[in-house]
Amino acid sequence: MHTTIKKVTIKSYLDFAQLIKEYQGSHEENRVFALKHKGALENPSKLVMLWTKTNLFRLRETADSENFLHHFSSVSNLIGFLFLLMGFFAGIGLLSYSGHAPVNIIYYLLFAMMIPLLSMLITIFSMISGGEVSNFFNLFFSLHWVEKFVNLFAFNSKIKTLNSSFPQTLKKWIFIHRLQLFSLLFSVGLLLSLLVMVVSKDIAFSWSTTLNVTPMAFHELLSWVAKPWEFLVPSAIPSVELVEMSQYFRLGETLNKEMVQNADKLGAWWQFLAMVTLIYAIFLRAILWLVSRYAYQKQLEKDFLEIEGMEMLIREFQTPYVSTEAPKVEQHLDIVEETDAQVKQNRRRAFNNIVGWNFSADEIALVNDSKEIKGVHIDIVGGSHTFSKDQEIARQISRTVLLYVKSWEPPTMDFVDFLELLIESKKVDEIHVYPLGTVGRYYASDAKEVAVWKRKIQGLKSKKVWVIDA
Amino acid sequence: MRNNKENVNDYPKFAVVGHPNKGKSSIVSSLALDDSVQIGDTPGTTQIKRGFPLKVDGKIIYELFDTPGFQRARRVLAWLNEQDAVSADKRSDVVREFVATHRHDDKFRDEIELLEPILDGAGIIYVVDASKPYGPEYEVEMEILRWCGQPSMAILNLIGDEDYRDQWKSALGHYFRMVRTFNPIEATFRDHMDLLESMAQLKEEWTKEIKVAITILDELHQQKVEQTIDAIVDNMIKTLSLVYKQEIKGEKATSKEEEDAKQGYRQQIMEYEKAQEKAIEFIWNHRSIEKIENVLVLDEVGLFSKESASIFGLSQNELILTGASAGAITGAGVDLMLAGHTLFIASLVGGVVGGVGAMFGFNNLYSLEILGQNLGKRELSIGPMKNLNFPYILLGRALYHASVIAKRSHALRESIKLEDEEFYTEQIINTEMRKKLEKVHIQLRKGEGPSNELLDEYKKVISRSFLGLLRE
Ligand SMILES: Nc1nc2c(ncn2[C@@H]2O[C@H](COP(=O)(O)OP(=O)(O)OP(=O)(O)O)[C@@H](O)[C@H]2O)c(=O)[nH]1
Ligand SMILES: [Mg+2]
Repeated sequence: MHTTIKKVTIKSYLDFAQLIKEYQGSHEENRVFALKHKGALENPSKLVMLWTKTNLFRLRETADSENFLHHFSSVSNLIGFLFLLMGFFAGIGLLSYSGHAPVNIIYYLLFAMMIPLLSMLITIFSMISGGEVSNFFNLFFSLHWVEKFVNLFAFNSKIKTLNSSFPQTLKKWIFIHRLQLFSLLFSVGLLLSLLVMVVSKDIAFSWSTTLNVTPMAFHELLSWVAKPWEFLVPSAIPSVELVEMSQYFRLGETLNKEMVQNADKLGAWWQFLAMVTLIYAIFLRAILWLVSRYAYQKQLEKDFLEIEGMEMLIREFQTPYVSTEAPKVEQHLDIVEETDAQVKQNRRRAFNNIVGWNFSADEIALVNDSKEIKGVHIDIVGGSHTFSKDQEIARQISRTVLLYVKSWEPPTMDFVDFLELLIESKKVDEIHVYPLGTVGRYYASDAKEVAVWKRKIQGLKSKKVWVIDA
Repeated sequence: MRNNKENVNDYPKFAVVGHPNKGKSSIVSSLALDDSVQIGDTPGTTQIKRGFPLKVDGKIIYELFDTPGFQRARRVLAWLNEQDAVSADKRSDVVREFVATHRHDDKFRDEIELLEPILDGAGIIYVVDASKPYGPEYEVEMEILRWCGQPSMAILNLIGDEDYRDQWKSALGHYFRMVRTFNPIEATFRDHMDLLESMAQLKEEWTKEIKVAITILDELHQQKVEQTIDAIVDNMIKTLSLVYKQEIKGEKATSKEEEDAKQGYRQQIMEYEKAQEKAIEFIWNHRSIEKIENVLVLDEVGLFSKESASIFGLSQNELILTGASAGAITGAGVDLMLAGHTLFIASLVGGVVGGVGAMFGFNNLYSLEILGQNLGKRELSIGPMKNLNFPYILLGRALYHASVIAKRSHALRESIKLEDEEFYTEQIINTEMRKKLEKVHIQLRKGEGPSNELLDEYKKVISRSFLGLLRE
């Protein structure tokens, strides 16, 4: 099955976290889903994302991710644009050459190299440290405050809670990742302003410091800075003459004449400054940005698997679904409770016929003795007799009949068939069914068992049949 | 194509047959772990055959059939005997003919229902109640089954308290190669597996599949145990770290507000416990248990009652041995304050209670705070629970309930009385185990989340005691 889902995203994170609270699916459903997407079975995250996508329609409200990402991306766009602008205008400011004083490249270097390097260093500290410590480092970044400020405008409290629902480490990586991007934009803005200024104006660059630095030493320093592009762009390394020439106080003495003359020579600085921006502010930052993106993705994937309910779902995906129950629901049998109808508490002592259902002749004799019951005719029915033999016996039975039954053996239809022969017989007046317990219990039967017989016989609705419950 | 279909259908089948009311449905219900089966003391409870397949990811490994009991066995046998004599290998065809001839005859509905799966290749499991004497009328049924020519075994069920097994064994021995005792109400998981082992012997071709089934069921059992432990541990953590919040009107909580909050706090904990019990019943396939009133009389012994504390809690000696001595309460209180509750405004209400209070009292054993929330809202906050014995009461109840449910036969339709079972938390969790548990309890009491290692340890201890209970 072809799917476009590849990586865990903030959207997949939020969608799953929201969905699993409302819908978990049964083990059976989830396992069936997993088996349907066999290809994804060994990659749980991917399977979960597919599952989320399939089941997202079940959400009762709009997906949180929609609101959040909308907010998140508009805020990001805004901040990103702001940083680009800030970079650009910072550059314009730095490179503005009023005609009175040349542009001090040291200021520019401060923004294009020193501050970025420092901020990258802090970023790295924040990356490698965890928890409170990294939070502390983050306080140094303007983005931290900008975000705080922007969040104040996030009147949608849901977004706020979503924001804070991310695990701490993930939040850190989201922050660092965005920070790199915005810083990159800032530096791009800076570079752009440099290029714009160079194209549109003649800029006289100079350098000055209160420290006692000789042009030689300064040149030495700059060669170090320019090491990375020494071979690649040798023209972007200022020469000793240029460094000497552009020391501020020298320029100062002959500002008017020589400055104008040397303006294009002094302008050779721009290549150096462009390379500094490109390498230190942009290239290094881009690396950091990639690193942070990687780490953020890894963290997201890790935290994704730790969302509450995830473990359970994955377990259900991976565990074969075993069922043992009957798939169909059983029709429920209505039980009619027994009443007192057709029940005799005391028994007669003499019957015209005594019949034992599933008893042997000896057994019947034993019962008669013990219960002091007498009968004129004694017969055995049921058991291994055939039904036709029973029919024959039934024809001979007349007047009063005592029918011994084993109380523990429930009345089968076979018995009912025989009983009906007696009921239908005109010769028979009264039939007494006597459920007996086992010999071991001196024929005493269980009330529960007798109740079964009562119910059966009451169900026949014949006034001729009685159950003895003595 | 046809061949394919046959293969799909070619798994072992077993028809559980016998006289009415001898526990056929009970046996099926317990083997299939299905408590929805109708079981009743009225003969003829089961009216149509029902299949209970063991399925793994939709594939059937074997299938059990519950059937109605024989109702007119004599007349069936008479019909069979009336037919022209055939050699033994053709006899099942005669039975087949009986079914075909009488398909629309309501008289033989039960017989047809029970014969059909057998004619379809199911092995025969003949169930009798060996607590009642044997009678020759059974021979008719066994004779019919013999006509079917399928592999067969007999199960002696003991419904009543007498024992006529010897009688039965010598009679059944003439008809069945294998006779086993199996009590669906009391059967343990092992008995269940042993019976399956016997069923595996019925037919050579089935042995492999039934062995597979045994492995599957074993794993399923294992999974259920693990899920149970997870459910218990989750609930322990959720309950013990519960902080219940309730808005209040004034600067201070009125005593009614305080009472209400305490009530709400307890209510919440009791609901958690109910939910945990439901979850565990679900895990063990006791789906219809709620239809039975008071399945466990745990309800009558309230979670926060003295009885519960004395049944499920630890004795004071044990508490002290565990290191959860009365003095530790004070410690927990101090820790609580030092833990840096930034919103902490009011002081703890109640708090330090020792002696019998630690055993039975709950009233003052949760910390009660008033939180001055932003936007001028004030909240009363209760929890986490500080009663030292409470975790053991909660755990004891959970383990007791879970073990009863895990061992409960699916054939049971009645409730269990608490006094039926002997249960003492102290007996299943020894001092050394308790020390490990206590480490987690201390953290939860402080409102901290325990580390993963501690939790693993915690789970292990609970798992050990649960398995101990299952073995009993
Ligand atoms: N005490 C006890 N009672 C049992 C046992 N097995 C079955 N019973 C009871 O015996 C009665 C009949 O059980 P069922 O499982 O419905 O019997 P059956 O053979 O399916 O009955 P029909 O479907 O009516 O043919 C019920 O009241 C059960 O509770 C047992 O092992 N012990
Ligand atoms: Mg039944």
